[in-house]
Amino acid sequence: MTSFQQKLEHYLADQTGQTVTIHKLTPLAGGASRDSWAIDLMIGDQPEKLVMRRDLPTTMNTQALTRAQEYTLMRIAYQHGVKVARMRWLCEDPAVLEFPFFLMDYVDGISIGRKVITLPELTQARAALPDHMAKQLALIHTINPDQPAFRFLQRPRHHDPAREAIDSTYEMLDAIGAQIPALEYALRWCDRHAPKPDRITFLHGDFRVGNLLVDQHGLAAVIDWEFAHIGDPAEEIGYLCMRDWRFGNDRLHAGGLTDREQFIAAYERYSGYTIDRSRTDWWEIIGNIRWAVICLTQAERHLSGRDPSVELASLGRRSAEMQLEALRLIEKAGVNHV
Amino acid sequence: MYDRPSAQALIDGARLHLETLVIPAVRGDPKLYFQTLVAINVLKIVGRELDHAETHQIAEWAGLNLIEGQDLPFPALQSERISALKARNAALCTAIRAGVYDQTESLILEHVRQVTIAQLEVANPKYLQTLAHEDHLER
Repeated sequence: MTSFQQKLEHYLADQTGQTVTIHKLTPLAGGASRDSWAIDLMIGDQPEKLVMRRDLPTTMNTQALTRAQEYTLMRIAYQHGVKVARMRWLCEDPAVLEFPFFLMDYVDGISIGRKVITLPELTQARAALPDHMAKQLALIHTINPDQPAFRFLQRPRHHDPAREAIDSTYEMLDAIGAQIPALEYALRWCDRHAPKPDRITFLHGDFRVGNLLVDQHGLAAVIDWEFAHIGDPAEEIGYLCMRDWRFGNDRLHAGGLTDREQFIAAYERYSGYTIDRSRTDWWEIIGNIRWAVICLTQAERHLSGRDPSVELASLGRRSAEMQLEALRLIEKAGVNHV
Repeated sequence: MYDRPSAQALIDGARLHLETLVIPAVRGDPKLYFQTLVAINVLKIVGRELDHAETHQIAEWAGLNLIEGQDLPFPALQSERISALKARNAALCTAIRAGVYDQTESLILEHVRQVTIAQLEVANPKYLQTLAHEDHLER
């Protein structure tokens, strides 16, 4: 039987017309929804280091992009000047490695959120990160969302990102039949305070510490593009301010790195746009609500018997954390008193 | 009564087993190690739920009475409590979504906040402590 490694060597030999020898295959830690490997190899007499990402059918999230789509948009982001790994090969032929995969250049760095926020050797990186993140985010938001290669990207119905977020969250909630007054109240509040459609751009969709490779100098690469979509750029700022993405450094609202106002000011400097703070607050609130609903949806995978897992089951009980956070933020934003 | 050992003591036994015997044995397997930590945490959640469930259900029932301006008695039978609470919550959800409470939202907010805090006393009391500490610093 030909091993995984030999199959990959044959594939790369075909692509490059040179002899290919893989020295080392290292599994990369990451989210539960993907299969990633670091690969040390020789192509001809040239040492190389690559990363492979592969679709696995059991772990496919229906909302996530496929590997081919992710490859396309990371390539476009790279050409646009965004800090992202250079894409090398995309293979959609299931005969090669069973499932579609792509290969990209390896970029050194740490992506584990808690480590980025706490490691002493990253003190300097943390000081530089907010500015690097604001700059990259502003640049990502200038990627042309209407290019033909982006036909697959999810667009808000009726060009109304806030309405889309509310409707899709109700849909997720109803799909699992969850009836939780705290979530209903929070969603109703969002519905009544939804920001009107304004600037609509390309969005990374999951931009936060944890989805960035960080080295001692700061941001080395933006990774995990599988939730890219088109929407309100304020969504992306509100999202990265969510408590869960502060990794315990709760008093620094922007990713556990700096305060919100400083981050928004840096983003405004790089983008040239003024950001309405009540708009980012709204997106932070609905971001928490969506995360709360996703936790319930994950638990449902266990409850339905499709994916028995104590980890998925316990996620259901985490939902209350984000529910309470949404309620606290709503109270700060203002409610009618009887 | 199934009193010896109590449900609480049985859960503690299972948790102790995982902590003292399984954890040292799976240290070399990061995935299994993590999942075992999750399982230990799940047992702690169940233990706290056994302690708090009844008090929390009574408080939630009283909160629903307040919102609806009713004085329904808390069901005497344990088997009826969960289904009765579910039915009342479902009705409340439908009303909230229809906008019935838009003008009296602070009443709903106070109730759902109390219920969510009660859930976290079971699911993650440390989280509540962190928030309390943060609120204290901001004051």
